[in-house]
Amino acid sequence: MIPVAVLTGFLGSGKTTLLARLLRHPDFARTAVIINEFGEVGLDHDLIEPSEESFVTLQTGCLCCTIRGDLARTLADILRRRDQGEVAAFERIVIETSGLADPAPILHALMSDAGLAERLALAGVVVTVDAVNGLDTLGRQPESVKQVAVADQLVLTKTDLLEGGADELLARLSALNPAARVEQASFGAIDPAQLFTAGPGVAAGKAADIADWLGPDLPSDDHAHHGHAAGGHDAQITCFAILREEPIRAVTLTLLLEALADHCGADLLRLKGIVNVAESPERPAVIHGVQHVFHPPAWLERWPSKDRRSRLVFIGRGIRQAWVEALLTVLEAEVGEVAARP
Amino acid sequence: MSPSMLDEAVAVLLARSLETWRIDGSVRREVDGTLHVTTAAKHLRVSRAPADLPFRWMLGEGERTRGATSISSLLRHVRAAVDPGYRPVRLRIAPLPPPGAS
Repeated sequence: MIPVAVLTGFLGSGKTTLLARLLRHPDFARTAVIINEFGEVGLDHDLIEPSEESFVTLQTGCLCCTIRGDLARTLADILRRRDQGEVAAFERIVIETSGLADPAPILHALMSDAGLAERLALAGVVVTVDAVNGLDTLGRQPESVKQVAVADQLVLTKTDLLEGGADELLARLSALNPAARVEQASFGAIDPAQLFTAGPGVAAGKAADIADWLGPDLPSDDHAHHGHAAGGHDAQITCFAILREEPIRAVTLTLLLEALADHCGADLLRLKGIVNVAESPERPAVIHGVQHVFHPPAWLERWPSKDRRSRLVFIGRGIRQAWVEALLTVLEAEVGEVAARP
Repeated sequence: MSPSMLDEAVAVLLARSLETWRIDGSVRREVDGTLHVTTAAKHLRVSRAPADLPFRWMLGEGERTRGATSISSLLRHVRAAVDPGYRPVRLRIAPLPPPGAS
């Protein structure tokens, strides 16, 4: 499987600078880059000089608006060219979105195309955040809030321009998405080994990476009942975890995901988790969804630690932890009641 | 969980659901277990389905009663009744990679 990563971030947040530096790094050779630029005359692709083993292809138009067919066709095309030896045998793909893009439809396209699913595995969403202007951007631009909310990794850029600290920005980012890892890059300089290593495809392949992918402990029913709501303009964005000591029946999990899609739809920005499925106690399931689209569960060979609790991490808009708790409780009870019927 | 505890849990779920859907309303449970969901525009009754019907729950509105085969189905019917803007979204599972793909 070829890992495919999404690099996004608001306009001017340093995506292209970061990518240009990465592509000059020997460890990042053999990379295919798809750059999406908004507007007929793009510039970003001219700012990137790939190595001989990498190449850049360009898409215009807003990727998240025309995404399904366009991105799938572009990916299929570069895979075909790779197979036929027309381009270097790249080992990874990076999709750089326009700064205005909503990442969710892009993730849907990657997850839901059967042809692509045979060859590609999502290697994570990296979001650049301007250390100087990021706080203001988050306050003004809802697109930037959504980008941060779905990130696996956040890269703080332009830290060299900071006059004070970034504490307030970091607190805001943590409130929006406490599960995301935060890295720093000055002039786009960052160790490639630190990037694109936190995605669901990566985590599903390595049990030890699951805890990292799920992020730090979040408020659960053991500790809080109101989730982790980001303050100020982002009060609608909530991030919380649901924990279960007892295994969850497979049918209960399916019903839960159906109900979440049904009632939350686009407001479910991201759901990821590790689940102790009653029918498979030794092999936990890793689940990952964006809005109503979910990957099939990935079954780990073993538990990554002695902790065998199910852990579901939610990032959503206006989704209440208490509702999800009540929903799961009732679904578990009803499935149990039906199963116990003679 | 006993049947009465499940009924109580359903009452809690319906109350939380109204909050999540941003619908002003309330949920009240009668001694016989019937739940009353009241909003500005609607009054719904939720009860266990009789054993001779192929449903688990019944949802009543005025003279009209309909069955629901599960909590998920009940929740959809309740939302459709109280939330005119409700457009259910179907869960979509991405395709599986072929066996051996790595």
